[in-house]
Amino acid sequence: MADTTMGTAAARPALFLRNATGLVKAWSTFDAFVYSFWSVNLITLGLYGMSFVYTVPDGQALAAILVFGVLTTFLVITYAMLVSVMPRTGGDYAWQSRVLGGSLGFVLSITGWWFTLFLWAPIYANILVVQFFSPLAYTLGSSGVATWFASSNGIFVSCLIVLAFVSVVVTMGMETYARIQKVCFWIGLVGLAVVIVLLLVNDQSSFQSAFNRESSSLFGTSGNAYQATIDTATKGGFGGSSFGTFAIGPMLLLLPWLAFYLLWPNWGATLYGEVRGAKDIRKPFWSMFWGLWVTVALVAVVVLLMVRTFGWNFYQAANSLYWGSLFGGPAPVIPTWPYPVMFAGWLVNSHLFQAVLIIVMGLWFFGWAGTLFLSSTRVIFAAAFDRVLPAWAANISAKRRVPYGSLVLMIVPSIVVSAIYAYKPTFTSVFLDATAVLALTFFATCVAAIILPWRRKDLYDASPIAQYKLGGLPAISIVGAISGIFLLFMLYEWFFNSSNLYGTSFQATTNSVIYFAATYVVAIAIYVAARVVRGRQGIDLRRIHHEIPVE
Amino acid sequence: MPKVFFATDLHGSEVCWKKFLNAAKFYDADVLICGGDMTGKAIVPIVSENGHYTVTLGGESQTVPAEQVVEVENNIRRRGYYPLQMSVERVHELDTDPAKRAACFQEVMLDGVDRWMKMAADKLRGTGVRIFVSPGNDDEMEVDDVIRRAEVVELGEGRVMEFDGFVMISTGWSNPTPWKTHREESEEQLAGRIDAMASQVPDTSRAIFNLHCPPFKSGLDEAPAIDADLRLLHGGRALRPVGSTAVREVIEKRQPLLSLHGHIHESKGAVKIGKTLSINPGSAYEEGMLMGAIIQLDPKKGIKSYQLVNG
Repeated sequence: MADTTMGTAAARPALFLRNATGLVKAWSTFDAFVYSFWSVNLITLGLYGMSFVYTVPDGQALAAILVFGVLTTFLVITYAMLVSVMPRTGGDYAWQSRVLGGSLGFVLSITGWWFTLFLWAPIYANILVVQFFSPLAYTLGSSGVATWFASSNGIFVSCLIVLAFVSVVVTMGMETYARIQKVCFWIGLVGLAVVIVLLLVNDQSSFQSAFNRESSSLFGTSGNAYQATIDTATKGGFGGSSFGTFAIGPMLLLLPWLAFYLLWPNWGATLYGEVRGAKDIRKPFWSMFWGLWVTVALVAVVVLLMVRTFGWNFYQAANSLYWGSLFGGPAPVIPTWPYPVMFAGWLVNSHLFQAVLIIVMGLWFFGWAGTLFLSSTRVIFAAAFDRVLPAWAANISAKRRVPYGSLVLMIVPSIVVSAIYAYKPTFTSVFLDATAVLALTFFATCVAAIILPWRRKDLYDASPIAQYKLGGLPAISIVGAISGIFLLFMLYEWFFNSSNLYGTSFQATTNSVIYFAATYVVAIAIYVAARVVRGRQGIDLRRIHHEIPVE
Repeated sequence: MPKVFFATDLHGSEVCWKKFLNAAKFYDADVLICGGDMTGKAIVPIVSENGHYTVTLGGESQTVPAEQVVEVENNIRRRGYYPLQMSVERVHELDTDPAKRAACFQEVMLDGVDRWMKMAADKLRGTGVRIFVSPGNDDEMEVDDVIRRAEVVELGEGRVMEFDGFVMISTGWSNPTPWKTHREESEEQLAGRIDAMASQVPDTSRAIFNLHCPPFKSGLDEAPAIDADLRLLHGGRALRPVGSTAVREVIEKRQPLLSLHGHIHESKGAVKIGKTLSINPGSAYEEGMLMGAIIQLDPKKGIKSYQLVNG
């Protein structure tokens, strides 16, 4: 049954295909772009991450964003190349295991994709509170509800809401959620366009008037709340911030903050094993590349508009005041996180409009948060199939195809961690490390990419990327090295910054050191236990990735 | 205690076939089972022109001298494609004449399977290792005749076979697919085909059901969703169960010790369906990697252990 031919640009066919299972047409780059775009979410993660920029007053945000985009592009190329060589489910786990070895691969990837994701549930919940529940409640005149969501109980309930939402998404399956994501994507873009237009057609004096009006209306302030925000922040130690200042050192110090949202265009790489055609490097590359750069461009636009309409110094002062108040600083003039979307909505004197805008922009959260555990469940599956984890970890219910084993392994610890987050504020530094540990996992993958052409020469030589060389060296090694140096710089700053700029420096955050040391110890313990138990069952875990000789 | 090595969906990858044969020694296996879809999906023409040879692989064209053709052919075979030297005229003939193209495909596929059978004989003759092959839905019917003639390889399709006290039934037939391949039939017909063999198994607690198509909604049958135009939906991330209800029902009803499956390359896994351990080792034939399952059988325990490996 020979049916089709595949032509080249030249007249004659390069390949004769017969009818066979699995011969499908390429997946849409746009669909994959949407997933990548959500991963570096401009609104949820982006605005949240940008609210820490005030900690580096001389850091030029726009330059830092562009530099971050360029450096992360190398990471995107590295991951696209790895997908092309080994397009298998499990991503980091599979690549690290096969190149660095099973034990190292398990420990490095499982700490990042499993243990660290526990920490992201409360972070997601906090974003849900400050970008949705709280501003919506204030706008609708329910300040009591807004205050409650900021309490320990409110934060814990928000964590449970996030975990329930994620569980529902995993249960309904990616096909249904992908449809929801698309709806959220388009409506969310309309909302963003409205925000941009509002910031564009209003000037700073209009915003100051609107800010003073709504601060009075919603929070009962009096007088010039705009100026009071700057003055109070100054009293709290804020030294002022000028958007026009540029210095390389401070600009580089902004990069670890930007990583909070711009480091994840490769988030879906753990899923590419399920995608036929992933060996074509162009598809995964362009989907991740555009996910990153469309976000970079939009962030640049939004930042410039905030500078123009809010005033950079005011915006940084508001952020300084809000975050400082959580750690003993002066009380903020308005008792809510400085949400730029809410501020933009205030430019229209209608609480109904403002509420609708917050709800519409809330779709940026609901179209994104559902994938929180998707990659984690895939990594757990991969480890279970390798017999490192018990078989039940990969179990799927027959009726609804729910991966209940991996969900339990994600949800139960996440509830415990959420409770710690909500009721033990002294553990805050642990949560600030959530980005760093994932970056460490990415760093290990970069090391695997660098040595791949030598460690797995067979795979590399047979892959489509073997033809890409720079100065005689494999391109994957070079882009992997550049990405690795970039990640190493940020890891150094996170762990050893002498001023504890990111709240994660080892010398200042004992809890953080203990928590993460414990996760690596647990990961090693799981692997060692698995080796012993499986060994007694006659299973040698070392041979999982040993290649059978060809001749 | 026989140790079984199972791999499937090699799709013409000669590297994978060689690894499959070497798996007996590498994993100390007594029995090798190849689950189907042995034959490749594409012919790559190596076009002879003006004393040189031109080939396009992975979108990249290259022109090589005669002495490099063997290297190019090996690279093509590694990816599971069939290299075929031909003139420009022959290329156009195959391009324009579907019947001649079909005949050409059959010729290279059967030649390929025959070569594999001879490799198996050279490698495993006299070792005592038993090797079973059951063609899959992508394999043309004529493949069975080539395997029947093989010296050391035993054809599994439609037969009830015994080794070391265990009984195995095999079929490479599947439920209907969008590609309308060679061995597809309705769920009812597939159920009848499997039942005809299963009813001859005296003790299913010592039985292996080697069924190419995985059971429906088992987690071993999750394939990327496609539209009517065979285009992947939602960036390939949306998965749908495409396994066979007939396979699932026969496993649930008969509860064999072990069921072995393939067909859905992305859906690697091992699950329990009642008392039955069902395995799909997946396939990464294009990378030249042999994904397989090692199953240590035990006369008393049934299955002592199992492990999925990436050889």
